[in-house]
Amino acid sequence: MRDSADPTSSRSWREIPQQVKTRAMSRTGRNRFLLSSVKTTATLVLGFSLAFGAYEVIRTWSAEPKKMAAAINTAPLKTIDVLTDGVLDRAWVTRTLALPNKVTLIELDLHPLQQRLLESGQVRSAVITKSFPATLTVKLAERSPVARLKGQIRDQDPQEFVVSRDGAVFAGVGYESEIRNSLPWLAGVKLVSQGKGFRPIEDMETVADLLAKARNEAPQLYQTWQVVDLSHLASDGEIVVSSTDIAKIVFSKNLDFFVQLARLDYARDQSGLRMKSVNLGLGPQVVATFDGATVVLPTRPAATERPRVPKPIFAFPNSQRSSRSQRDL
Amino acid sequence: MTSSTKFIGAVEIGTSKVTVLIGEFNGRELAIIGYGECQARGVIKGVVVDYKAASESVHAALEAAEQSAGEQIDLVFLAQTGGHLEGFYNEAAVSVKSADNMISPMDIDTVCRLSTAKELPAGRMVVHNIRRPFRVDGRLVPGNPEHLVGQRLEVGYWTVHGQENKLADSIHVIRGFNLEVRELILASLASGHMVTTAEERQNGVLAIDLGAGTTDFVLYRDGGAHTTGVVPVGGSHLTNDLSLGLRLTEGQAEKLKLRHGRALVQARNKNDKVWLEGNFAIGDRQFPQQTIEQITAARIWEIFEVVKKKLGAAFSPENCAAGVVLTGGTAKLSGIAECAAKVFGVPAHLGESPSWVAENLRDPGFNTALGLLYYGLVSQTERTAPARRKRGFLQKLFANA
Repeated sequence: MRDSADPTSSRSWREIPQQVKTRAMSRTGRNRFLLSSVKTTATLVLGFSLAFGAYEVIRTWSAEPKKMAAAINTAPLKTIDVLTDGVLDRAWVTRTLALPNKVTLIELDLHPLQQRLLESGQVRSAVITKSFPATLTVKLAERSPVARLKGQIRDQDPQEFVVSRDGAVFAGVGYESEIRNSLPWLAGVKLVSQGKGFRPIEDMETVADLLAKARNEAPQLYQTWQVVDLSHLASDGEIVVSSTDIAKIVFSKNLDFFVQLARLDYARDQSGLRMKSVNLGLGPQVVATFDGATVVLPTRPAATERPRVPKPIFAFPNSQRSSRSQRDL
Repeated sequence: MTSSTKFIGAVEIGTSKVTVLIGEFNGRELAIIGYGECQARGVIKGVVVDYKAASESVHAALEAAEQSAGEQIDLVFLAQTGGHLEGFYNEAAVSVKSADNMISPMDIDTVCRLSTAKELPAGRMVVHNIRRPFRVDGRLVPGNPEHLVGQRLEVGYWTVHGQENKLADSIHVIRGFNLEVRELILASLASGHMVTTAEERQNGVLAIDLGAGTTDFVLYRDGGAHTTGVVPVGGSHLTNDLSLGLRLTEGQAEKLKLRHGRALVQARNKNDKVWLEGNFAIGDRQFPQQTIEQITAARIWEIFEVVKKKLGAAFSPENCAAGVVLTGGTAKLSGIAECAAKVFGVPAHLGESPSWVAENLRDPGFNTALGLLYYGLVSQTERTAPARRKRGFLQKLFANA
């Protein structure tokens, strides 16, 4: 059964107007009518007020932020709280933000402030929060340096920069000299200006992997490293390291750095001679140059005899990450 | 409670009492949460005759229901009864337009529009258009005939219409409480839906709601309402007959009716007498039991005879296999089912609410209000579904072509 919507030309009861004059209502009905009228009016007035208020706030804020600050009557900024996972301190943050005196939180535009912090390069991310009434909270995540280099920004004097794992080049504020001095120098890198700093160095993650592996797994080798040359990295995939005792150590980015370090350590220990250069990027074989001789080290060491120049010296087993090599390291 | 929850008030403005039920409808389920009842005033035979008095009693019932529910009513489903309500049957047929003789929604819309497009006399308004089952080439189709194959599609509507000012009066009484009347539902349809089962409606059943001022009836055939009607005679006429016949006040007659009234004469001895009050107070007197029964039985018999006459050819024992179901306050009169069975020649019984109705709402007096909620929600759902379909751009385009 269906009650048809209104297919007929006859009039339906729905056409009866349901408006009733107030005087025809009972007292309860009038009260309900009054209440619903008040509710409707109040809702309309509230809605209109909110819309108008929002419009006024936005207009004033964009046109005259100082007036807005005065209207809100906030106190001038008193404290800058700095939370960081690195070495930067509140003094650096204050210096970098360079906020005017007696500035109030309401006047501060956080986006430019954040940009100022990020421009340094040392800050990977910065979150600035207004904590009313008068505190600015700055949360920083810093980059860690893995190497250093000399660079020159336009007409300024050449100065020392540090490089992070992601290739960012920055001045490196707040690091102790011991940390700085322990970092190897980068060579064979062409710095390109970008903004107030430099464009990030490409493929730096590979170099950082090698340096981290060396620092953690073979600190006695890492301590001797002075210069890391990246001039052949893009073309040949080679990282050339100069250390205090070996002038040229060639690593290949295509081989496991751990194995290459193990081979270097083994060759250095077993040869008993001063190596001039050593190439670890040729697969299972290690080519080492001694003063006046070049030796190709076999992949499997002999059982008993200690190697003597120019006889072949012991080399590593061919396997990757043998337990022996790990133990040696 | 979600924002889509609605509090629906089902209002029955009867001749003797006003009943209000509040249903909480969350879009899927309906829960009865409030109830209010008040003695009706300003209403005669289901029609508002004193606006102020009727408003006061209806508003009192609405207030009581809202207090009981602890919520405010959002909209109202209002029961409509009264002698001004009449019905007629009109049918139409169309030839199926498509080349493959498959019936399309457009054919259905056309035949429905034609069968309801009948002008009413001035001052009359449609309350319900009740569709009877479609017929395709003379074959009865209980459901939707869309996609069936045939050459001729027929449908008929039972149109219930009422007097505009009387309908408006009922609506304005509710509006006086600052509530919107969302549905106006024939009282017989509401109560009939509650006391009959789908199976009974399919087999054919006559539901009679005996109220105080009116007797509403609906004949179901083939699963749907076939014919409806209102007889402006009810339980109050029994009271009036007793009052006149035995020279009693209305209150005394009402007491006698409730205590000793019967729909069939059972007393055989003329000397059997009953006391009016039975408390031996001054003015208490005796009346012959047989006389009381004769008066009440005659009136009830007459009411059923009028109902049968109004139904005319639509009713026959063959197409009313499920018999007669009686409900309403006057249906509590003893022997009434036997009386109905004798008049109509089919089994008769008192209607019971469905099992899901709570125990405190199982009185026959609540059937109309409960039916209002149930029938109103169903008819609202059914009405909105085809209305959405009609808004399709292509359908509009082709409808205009």
